Amino acid sequence: MAENSGTDPAVNTNADENAAKGGTIIMVTVKTPKDKEEIAISEDSSVAQFKEEISKRFKAKQDQLVLIFAGKILKDGDTLNQHGIKDGLTVHLVIKTSPKASGGSTSQASAPSPGVSSSNRSTAGAGNPPPASTANQSQGTGPSAAPAQPGNLLSGFGDLSNLAGLGMGSSNFMELQQQMQRQLMSNPEMLSQIMENPLVQNMMSNPDLMRQMIMANPQMQQLMERNPEISHMLNNPELMRQTMELARNPAMMQEMMRNQDRALSNLESIPGGYNALRRMYTDIQEPMFSAAREQFGNNPFSALGGSPDGSGAQPSRTENREPLPNPWGPSESSTTENRGAGSTATTTTTTSTSGSTPSVSNPLGVGSATVGNGIFNSPGMQSLMQQISENPQLMQNMLSAPYMRSMMQSLAQNPEIASQVLMNNPLFAGNPQLQEQLRHQLPVFLQQMQNPEALSVMTNPRAMQALMQIQQGLQTLQTEAPGLMPKYIQMPMILIPGGIPGAPLSTGGGLPSETPPASAPTSTPAAGANPSQQQLIQQMLQMFAGGSQSTQTPEVRFQQQLEQLSAMGFINREANLQALIATGGDINAAIERLLGSQPS
Amino acid sequence: MEQTSAAFSVQLYIYDLSRGMARQLSPIMLGEERGPRHTSIVVYGEEFFFGGVGISSCPPGGTMLGPPDNVVELGSTEVNEEIFMDYLSSLGETAYRGERYRLFEHNCNTFSNEVAQFLTGHKIPSYITDLPSEVLSTPFGQVLRPILDSIHIAPPGGNVINGPQNNS
Repeated sequence: MAENSGTDPAVNTNADENAAKGGTIIMVTVKTPKDKEEIAISEDSSVAQFKEEISKRFKAKQDQLVLIFAGKILKDGDTLNQHGIKDGLTVHLVIKTSPKASGGSTSQASAPSPGVSSSNRSTAGAGNPPPASTANQSQGTGPSAAPAQPGNLLSGFGDLSNLAGLGMGSSNFMELQQQMQRQLMSNPEMLSQIMENPLVQNMMSNPDLMRQMIMANPQMQQLMERNPEISHMLNNPELMRQTMELARNPAMMQEMMRNQDRALSNLESIPGGYNALRRMYTDIQEPMFSAAREQFGNNPFSALGGSPDGSGAQPSRTENREPLPNPWGPSESSTTENRGAGSTATTTTTTSTSGSTPSVSNPLGVGSATVGNGIFNSPGMQSLMQQISENPQLMQNMLSAPYMRSMMQSLAQNPEIASQVLMNNPLFAGNPQLQEQLRHQLPVFLQQMQNPEALSVMTNPRAMQALMQIQQGLQTLQTEAPGLMPKYIQMPMILIPGGIPGAPLSTGGGLPSETPPASAPTSTPAAGANPSQQQLIQQMLQMFAGGSQSTQTPEVRFQQQLEQLSAMGFINREANLQALIATGGDINAAIERLLGSQPS
Repeated sequence: MEQTSAAFSVQLYIYDLSRGMARQLSPIMLGEERGPRHTSIVVYGEEFFFGGVGISSCPPGGTMLGPPDNVVELGSTEVNEEIFMDYLSSLGETAYRGERYRLFEHNCNTFSNEVAQFLTGHKIPSYITDLPSEVLSTPFGQVLRPILDSIHIAPPGGNVINGPQNNS
């Protein structure tokens, strides 16, 4: 073939000359494992010509090049057309390190395999066998243990990880959560990683909260009615603590299992003991398991503790000799709600009302509230609010998820949890009066939360944005003129953790975004027509405004925080004070403000 | 053109990481099967996959995950084993070293996709590769990314193909 275009480095010339031949120039991407290049070539050219170009570009010898397209190796004698290589397509290139030494490269290829196999097998193996064997062991000893662990750990890690899911379902938290669950359950290594998470451990160490979580679950409640021993167990903090220890520590769990085994086998030898055991099982374990199946998935034993003939000396945990029903067996439709209920989204996101029912993802029902508490203490709240207002879809999804309803319902029914959750919020921490009032008001709040109007406020992005703006404006006002605010403000309440209580507050208290800020005195919120509520709102506003509490000046109130700040090196007392006022005494947020990185 | 082209069939092994839970639960909840997947390419009688330790190979179905939940025929390739191993070793030196593993953006599915395209010109089913981006597109995914980034999935039971060792 006449190679006029032959060795011209300039692609243009090449192209021209090629074009002269009547072929159109196409850009073909040539991709090696290391990088890729675009090569312009006439579509009529042969593979050999193509390789020439490539060898120039990639600085490799032509006979080192192996071109692959659509699974076929392009031979020099072929043309690009033959293989259907067109403009914009990608051809793969392998540059052979040892040209054409088939024996060589094969031996190269095979050599590493056996060579590294042993060492790598051990290393690759080493990483995974321990968790694997743990899993295996646990499978061996207590069939429950394996499902127990993942379940536990999942709950432990709570809904943070559930959210990310490793699954699809972008805004559907339930799915995400499930994905994560499955992912976690299949990989024991991950589980242990997750368990190390301090958040988890933090969570696990609060027995009270956990108890409440568990008790909040209607099914648990049923169970408890039928079997008072269970409530005994739950009410015994020692037991709870132990349970959580166990949950945290799979090895310990196994230990316990073995102890149980031994104890039970002793029981069996007592005349009539076997029957007792059986009775135990049918009375307690079965309903427990059905509840557990739907929610716990792991720690049914703990709830079984305190059974009549019980394992005597052992705290909690009756051993279960029968094979456990598959916790994730036939999925109950109710699981949907319950599972969702506990989990999720609520945690990281806003809702203070993370007090939740246990769910599969949340075996001990631990996740939400406790995690939520951790979250509350972080300055991320405001950014979350922002996120929410920016992403209305998010709120929409969150609120429309079925479990939100059930969660809210359960919250409404169980003001205790909600109150505890709210109490822990740093905003309220400094004002016991407020807490008291809040406690009284909680049922009302929760009612309102279910008020669809409140919900629609939350889902209305503009409303949320307006609220945010208002809040920002108020904050500015606060810093500028601290003495001015207290009576006038109503909006800041939005920032009350999660904003969901906030919204109903404002709804109950008044019309959220519609009422212009700062103007209407707090009496306007009277839409709720509840004077004590108004008062509460006032109080909250005052808290928020952080200024001129009737009892103390901000300086006095924040004395401790001020000292802390100055100990940390923030010597500008004025600025500190303002920051503290703006953040209502939250040191972390104040620090952020001081450093100039304002979350909101 | 067809003289020396021995065609090697290429398959994609899909492992449902939820160990069947997704199978049981998601159809009820979601109406379809979804869940994180581990994938690998099977060709020349060997299974190749990418994990936290780099590119590994093993007999098909020989990882700890056991037999695949799904097998997809990707077609056949002319690329013979030696070329493929060359290719793999350069991949293993560059984009697919062990530490390049990223749970979301650069995982076993990325690898399978790339190799599949190399061998056959076809990609792997999109529902597998779309999974990470779907998650990452949510704010929560972003928030949780640092945590998840540290999670590597590396099903044991394979030999690691190490680029540098290949090359001398």
